[in-house]
Parts: sequence; C-alpha cells; structure tokens
Amino acid sequence: MNWANILTSFLPENLLLAGIVVLIGLEIVGAKERSALPASLLALLLATAAAACLSLNGFAFEAFPGHFSVDGQSLLAKAIVLALAVPVLLISRHEIAQRQFHILILSSLYGVCLLLSADSFLTLFLGIELMSLPVYALVLLAYRRPESAEAALKYLVLGGAATATLLMGVSLLYGATGSLALSTFGDALASTDTMARVAVVLVIAAFFLKAAVVPFHAWAPDAYETAAVPVTAYMAVLVKAGVLLAAVRLFGAANVTGPVANLLALLPLISIVWGNLAAMRQQSFRRMIAYSSIAHAGYLFYAFLGDAAGRFQAVAFYVIAYGVMNLLAFAALPPDDDDAARDRLDNLRGLFHRRPYAALMLAVAMLSLAGIPPMPGFVAKFLIFRNVIAAGFTFYGVLGLIGSYLGIYFYLRVIQYLFMSADAPEAKNDAAGRLTVGASVLCLLIVIAISVFPGWVIDQL
Amino acid sequence: MSDALILNVVLFLPVLGTVLLLVVPPKKEDFVRGLSLGVMLVQLALTAWLYCRYDATVPGVQFETRLPWIPGWGVYYQIGLDGYNLLLVALTAFLGPLVVAGAFTAIQKDVKLFYAMVFLIQFAMLGAFVAQDLFLFYLFWEAMMIPMFFIIGIWGGERRIYATFKFVLYTAFGSILMLAALIYLVYSLNATSGVTSFAFVDLYRAELPLPVQTLLLAAFGLSFAIKVPIVPLHTWLPDAHVEAPTAGSVILAGVLLKMGTYGFMKLGFPLFPDATRMFAPLIGTLAVVSIIYGACLALVQTDIKKIIAYSSISHLGFVMLGLISLDLIGIQGAVIQMVSHGIVAGGLFLVVGMIYERCHTRELAVYGGIAKLMPVYSVFVAVLTLAAIGLPTTSGFTGEFMVLLGAFSAAWPLYQQGATYPLIVSVSAVSGVVLGALYMLLFAQRFLFGAAKAPHQPLVDLDAREKVILATILVAVFALGLFPAEPLRKTELAARDFQQRVAAERTGAAVAARAAEAPAMPAPEQPNAAAEPNPSVK
Repeated sequence: MNWANILTSFLPENLLLAGIVVLIGLEIVGAKERSALPASLLALLLATAAAACLSLNGFAFEAFPGHFSVDGQSLLAKAIVLALAVPVLLISRHEIAQRQFHILILSSLYGVCLLLSADSFLTLFLGIELMSLPVYALVLLAYRRPESAEAALKYLVLGGAATATLLMGVSLLYGATGSLALSTFGDALASTDTMARVAVVLVIAAFFLKAAVVPFHAWAPDAYETAAVPVTAYMAVLVKAGVLLAAVRLFGAANVTGPVANLLALLPLISIVWGNLAAMRQQSFRRMIAYSSIAHAGYLFYAFLGDAAGRFQAVAFYVIAYGVMNLLAFAALPPDDDDAARDRLDNLRGLFHRRPYAALMLAVAMLSLAGIPPMPGFVAKFLIFRNVIAAGFTFYGVLGLIGSYLGIYFYLRVIQYLFMSADAPEAKNDAAGRLTVGASVLCLLIVIAISVFPGWVIDQL
Repeated sequence: MSDALILNVVLFLPVLGTVLLLVVPPKKEDFVRGLSLGVMLVQLALTAWLYCRYDATVPGVQFETRLPWIPGWGVYYQIGLDGYNLLLVALTAFLGPLVVAGAFTAIQKDVKLFYAMVFLIQFAMLGAFVAQDLFLFYLFWEAMMIPMFFIIGIWGGERRIYATFKFVLYTAFGSILMLAALIYLVYSLNATSGVTSFAFVDLYRAELPLPVQTLLLAAFGLSFAIKVPIVPLHTWLPDAHVEAPTAGSVILAGVLLKMGTYGFMKLGFPLFPDATRMFAPLIGTLAVVSIIYGACLALVQTDIKKIIAYSSISHLGFVMLGLISLDLIGIQGAVIQMVSHGIVAGGLFLVVGMIYERCHTRELAVYGGIAKLMPVYSVFVAVLTLAAIGLPTTSGFTGEFMVLLGAFSAAWPLYQQGATYPLIVSVSAVSGVVLGALYMLLFAQRFLFGAAKAPHQPLVDLDAREKVILATILVAVFALGLFPAEPLRKTELAARDFQQRVAAERTGAAVAARAAEAPAMPAPEQPNAAAEPNPSVK
C-alpha cells in the first residue's frame, strides 16, 4: 500500500476534516464565535489550493480501487467547487454568528468532494448524503422566520425521497448488472433491458430532485426563500454544482441518445420554461433566484445530450459562471434587519441612488444570469447550446433558447427596480459589511475576467 | 502607430471613457460632460484619419486585427474596415459628439451614468460594425440592447418602462433565433468542410441546401428586420422613439436602425444567396410596404417625434429596396441612404429635442409660426425638412434617387421578359417619395408658419452650442448631397462584392457539380472579393 499516495489523493478532504476538527476543538475550549471564520476559511483555502495544485500536476491515483479515485478532472472539479465556497464563507461573516454554520458547511463540502471522486454507487451515495444532511440543518440554522421550519421539513422529506429513489435505482441496477461500479450506469443507458432502464430513470430522477428540475423542484423556492442568505447561496451554487459535476462523473463516457435523451431533454426544457415563467411573478428576491436556478438546472442538464466529449467542459464552465454570478447577486444584496423586508423586490427600488455600487453589481449579476453578452452567462449558455445543436438536437436547442428568452424579462425587471424607480424607501442603514463587499468585488472581478478571456478559462477545463 | 492599432483605439476609446467616468466624483457634472465630449471628439478625429487612409482600390478588409480569443471554438477577435462598414463607422463616430453635446442641458439626472451608457452603446455599435467574426458580431449586436434599455428606461418620458421593455423584448426575440441559426450555421460549416470558424470569410463559403438556407435566412432576417424595422415588425419603434430622451432617439434613428440593414447586407443576404434570390420578390414587397405604410402613418401623427419615427420606417424601406434590387446603383444608393438617414433623422430628433426642452411638449397642434418666434432655429428645421424630403443637393436626394434608379433598372429587364410584378413594386416605391414630401411639408407648414403660438413664451432662440451642433449636421447633409462621388468610390468595391456574393449559387447541388468538374478544393484563405466570381447570373 502506498500510504503517501493515498493520503495525497485525500488531501483536500483531509484538510477540510482538519478544519472541522479544529472548529470542534474551538467549541470545546470555548473560544469566541468570531474565531470560527478564520479557521474555516483557512481550511477551505488550503483545500482549494491542494486540489488545484494536484490537478495542475496531473496527479491521478486510485486510492480505493473501485470506490474512490482521483484524476486531473475530478481534482479540477473539486478545486472549482471549493473555490466557489470561499465567497459563501465571506458573506456569512455579517449574517450568521454560530460556529455550527462553518462546521456544517465544511462537512457538506467534504460530501461534495467525496461525490466528485466516487467510483461506485456506495461512495456516490455516501457523498450525496454527506452533502445534503448538513444542508437540512443549515436551512434551520440562524433562521429568522417561522416558515424556515416548514421549508426545512419539506426539503428533508423531498431529499429523503430522492435518497430512496436513488437507492431503489441502484439496487435495480445491481440486480440487472450485478455490480455497484459507477461505470455500469453507462452500460445501462445503452441497455434495452427493462430493469436497467427503470434503474436509469430512477437514478436520473434522484439527480433531478437534488438539482431541482421540474417536476421535482417544489422544495427549492421555499428553502431558498426562508434560509439565511449565505445558506441560500450555498444551496443555489454549491449543492447544484456538486450534483451536476457528480452527474458528469456518473454519465462518464456514455453517449446519451434514444429514449433517455428525450427524458434528459424534455424535463430540463420544461424546467427552463417553467422556471422562467414562474420567476416573472415573484415578489421576493430569493424566491425569484430559486426559480431562476430551476431554469439554470435545465440548461445544465441539456449539456448531457449527445456524446461525452466536451460535456465536462460545458458543465464546469457553466457551474463557474453560474456560481460566480449568483454569489455576486447574493453578496451585493443590501442587508436589512428584517429578513422578509430585505427579500422584497420592492425594497430594491431606487437602490442606485442609495448604494450605486451595490446596484451596479446586482445589475451585472442579473445581466449575466439572463445570458446577455458579453457576460459569462452568455458564453456558458452558448457552450451548452452549441453542444446540443452539434449533437443533432436542434429542435430542443431552439426550444431551449426560446425558453431562455422568457427569462430576460424578470432579470431586467430587477434592473428596472434598481435604476428606474425613483421612489426609494426611507433611507436605512443598509451598508454591507466589509467582508461582504470584499466577496462581491472578488466575484465581480472574476465575472469581468471571464467576460474578457473566456477562451483562457475554457482552455483550462 | 499603425492604422490597425488606431482602429482598435477607436473601438476601445468609449470603454476608456466609461472607466474614466467611474473615477470622476459625481458632483462634477460639467467635468463629466466635457470629458465625454472630449473622448468623442478624439474618436471622431481618429475615425476621420482612418477614413482618409482607407484605400478604395483595394478589395476586402483593411486595418485588420486578428487575435485568437476562444481558440477552442475557432473564435477570433477579428476586426477591420471594409467598404461595407466604413461609412457606417464614420457615421457612428460623427454622431457621437453631437449626441453628447446635444444632451448637455437635457440630461440633469444621473449624469455620469448617462454618459457611461452613451459610451457603452457607442462601443457596442462600433464593435458590431467592425467585427469580422460572427461570434464577435453577435456579442456586440446583443450587448447593444442593454445601454439602450437604460437610456430609455431612466431618462425617458412617462411611458418609458413600457417602451424600454417593448424594445428589449422585441430585439431579444430576434437575437435568440439568430443565435440558434448562428450555431447551426457554424456547425454545418464544420460538418461539410471540417473547418470550425466564425470568420465571415469562411462562413461565406458554407454550402447549404436551399431549405436550410431558407430557415437560416428567416432566423437571421427576423432579427435584422426587427432592428430595421420592416413592417409588420415595427411596432416597438414609435414607442421607443417617443419615450426615449433626445440622445436616445438620435442614437436609435442615427445608428441602431442601420444595424438591421447592415446585417442584411453583410450577413443575411450574402450568407444565404440562393434563399435570398428566391425570396427577393417577398423582401422587395415588404420593403415597399414599409415605405408606403410608414409614410401613411407619418401623415396622420400629431406627435412630432412620431412623425419622424414613422418616416424612419419609410426611409429604411428604401434602403431595403436598394439592397434587394441587387443592382449596383441600387446597392450604392442604399448605402448612401443609410448614412443620409442617419444624419438627417439624427438632426431632426435634435431639433425636436431643442423645442421640447423649451416647451415640454411634442404635440404638433400647440405649435405654430415658430419661424417668427425662433428664426435661426427655423432655418435649420426647414433645411432638415427639405433634406428629409430628398431635395436635390441634399443627402436625401442622392440616396433615394439611386435606390429608385437601381430598382427600376433591375425590374425593367424582368418586365421585358414578361414579369410585371417587380416593376409594379418599383413604381409603387415612388409614391413613398411623394408621401414623404407631403408629410414633411405639412409638418413644416404647421410648425413653422401660420399664426405664432407656442405653449411657453417667450421662446429663446438657439444658443451657440445648439447652433454649432445643427450647423455641423447641415454641413454633412450638403457634403453628402453635393459630393457623393467620394464616399461612393470607397464603397463601390464592397457593393460589387455584395452583388457577386448574392448572385452566387451555393446550394449543395452546386457543390456537387463543382466537385465533379474540378476535384481540387479552393484554398482555405481566399480574399473576400475573389470568392465566387459568377457575373453571368446578374
């Protein structure tokens, strides 16, 4: 056994684990709550750096053959996800005081990392659960409204249903193929065996549920709306990124054609259309973002159509772009003591005159989410639709684009509130904290960098 | 400094302007205005230099920059000037300082943001014109929408929110279909020739079967036709024009509408020549319908801005007619008409803006005898009115006359072969000129002459700034009217190039036939004009 290699391949996970241990230690010795952020941030940054360095060095090792392995791609995926978590921690500074928040976030990230290295359904299941369980608690943590409990319960029940669906699918897959290896999924996709087909549908349904694709989306608006802002950001960005990147690993080199392709095109298409339509009517910012993320989950699953080449690139680029612009939006959202009031879109009226920089950053985030060039959202969408049309799914591609057109209205409506409504509500102390501003500037710089050099980012993936 | 570098400077100067504005303290509004004007003037001077340096005898793209941007997709940052875009770039740069100076007194709210948005739209418009790569073109094309959304939505009139959303939702719908068509086009090029490229020169060589060409032309055409706008896709225009601030209207009428006709000329028609020839009668009919319908609607408007808005639809109908006539004179006339309309309509919106600043209404009925109240102003209005009608010696005459001449000379041989329809279409277009004279003269009569009345008296005549702005426009109007030969010389090669491209056979059958004749494929890097020399068709 090569212990050094085993430890190295677990390095990002181990660093997260060390962070968790340190945080628990701080809890035991009764250190100040404020000490949690530096500790968790340090662990996170180290883990990100470790994943990025290992990926750049092309490190690849099968630590537990058949269950857990790392290669350049999985390490890169881990680096992306971990880096996206950095702004989440930064904006939590002024929102959530509890140390448990950091412990839970790091645990959940540990699950995501596990997920991205899974070679068997056992590891995959372990990763998904480890990723999801802390999030149920996070929705309730630091809750500011009574509805949070309902939302958390809804999320828990539907998340449990997803788990059950996944397990059912996996056991059928085991029955059909006699193996729990992740690669059996690719074979099952092409199989004509009924049991294998049902298994495939069940597994995909579980992923749809976790990523909030219509009709499995009902939990998302409630959970997003009532959780604290950093938790919403975590759910919208990290959980989705983890699930989608894991799905890339799950599909592997398999071609998606035939009846499965229709399932993978139709539900995401409905998701795009419904998400964008429903978002139009929302009066709450986070609820709107929830529906928008339902639509974005639709675009993301579009990337799975056709052959596997370019799939990881499309999903990873989309995850980066989508993550950064969402985080920018959450970081730029001005704070308010009343959580429900903060959420009302009406409260953003005339923000440009009160907080011009926050308004401009929110506007950039909205334009990017709407997929207006030259924002990253556009290049990401272009990448996906290019693959869809090149794979021969022109019909779904055109419909998806028309669906994305529906979204333009509600993103621009936010800009209308920010810039074009004169009646600003009474001046409040809604200055954002320093770290939150830092997070938003960081995201803005990344957005600009991706807009100017999309080719460079694509080449890295 | 090489000329290619200067072109890049011209393109990115507005971005620099935006960045400079960001660091200026918001209180210093006059400094913001001066800075914006200065940047625009530098841009104009550099563009004038490039215009003079442009060699009319060389076909193809000049001052070209080509840098890999998304190498994995074959996307290049590729810009340059050619006969297609030269005049439009010059027009954009010419209107820039006028727009900025015209808004000095009109815009008092969020001044910094306003000039930043003017810079951004200037950047996007110039970028769309000089782009020689379809991805880059699309990027600028779509990005153009956002500053306009802000300009109408923040500084517009009472129904500005409605108007700005209508504008965006209309144009975005066209763009989405164009995006799908664009991806499909590039993918088909890849499938047939193995080249993954967005460069115009490569795409011009894509061989597509007729049904595919038709669909793609429909998708591209819808997007362009909304921008032009061609009836029946024009309903966003009156709302946007009326609600936009003066600067917005000038940009919209002056440059933005030309995006549509430029798109047809540079992309829509040459990319899908067989479908274009098949649908030429339909496109010509729509152009003439736009001419007549726009003119008729202009005749019955009571809002001065709406008169000019509908007249724009009519005037751009001429551009479309000239392009689709596929006659050299018609195509050249269309180009001149684009520039002429940009200057004249821009000028008309500026004079309307000046009276609106004084009286805060655009209702024609409340005005009368302005010639007595504001004599200097009235001279400018009268001359611009005559230019809009197309009086000889003004720019309007050159364009419309050449378009009609081109349409006739294209239709006459067909008539002799027994096809009367093209001739009917061409003759009907003449009625647009008559109607144009009617509504503009009616407007001038009611507005300038008769009993003196205005809602806000005494009216102050133009100040020095306004005189300079309008005088500059008049100089351009007469220059283009009296000496059209110079710009025509610079665009002639492009017009011939356009004519040849649209005349070329590019369906799959033509490929097969050519492959049977000569197995050797053409070299991949052909210069623009050398592609598809097939003069026998026209």
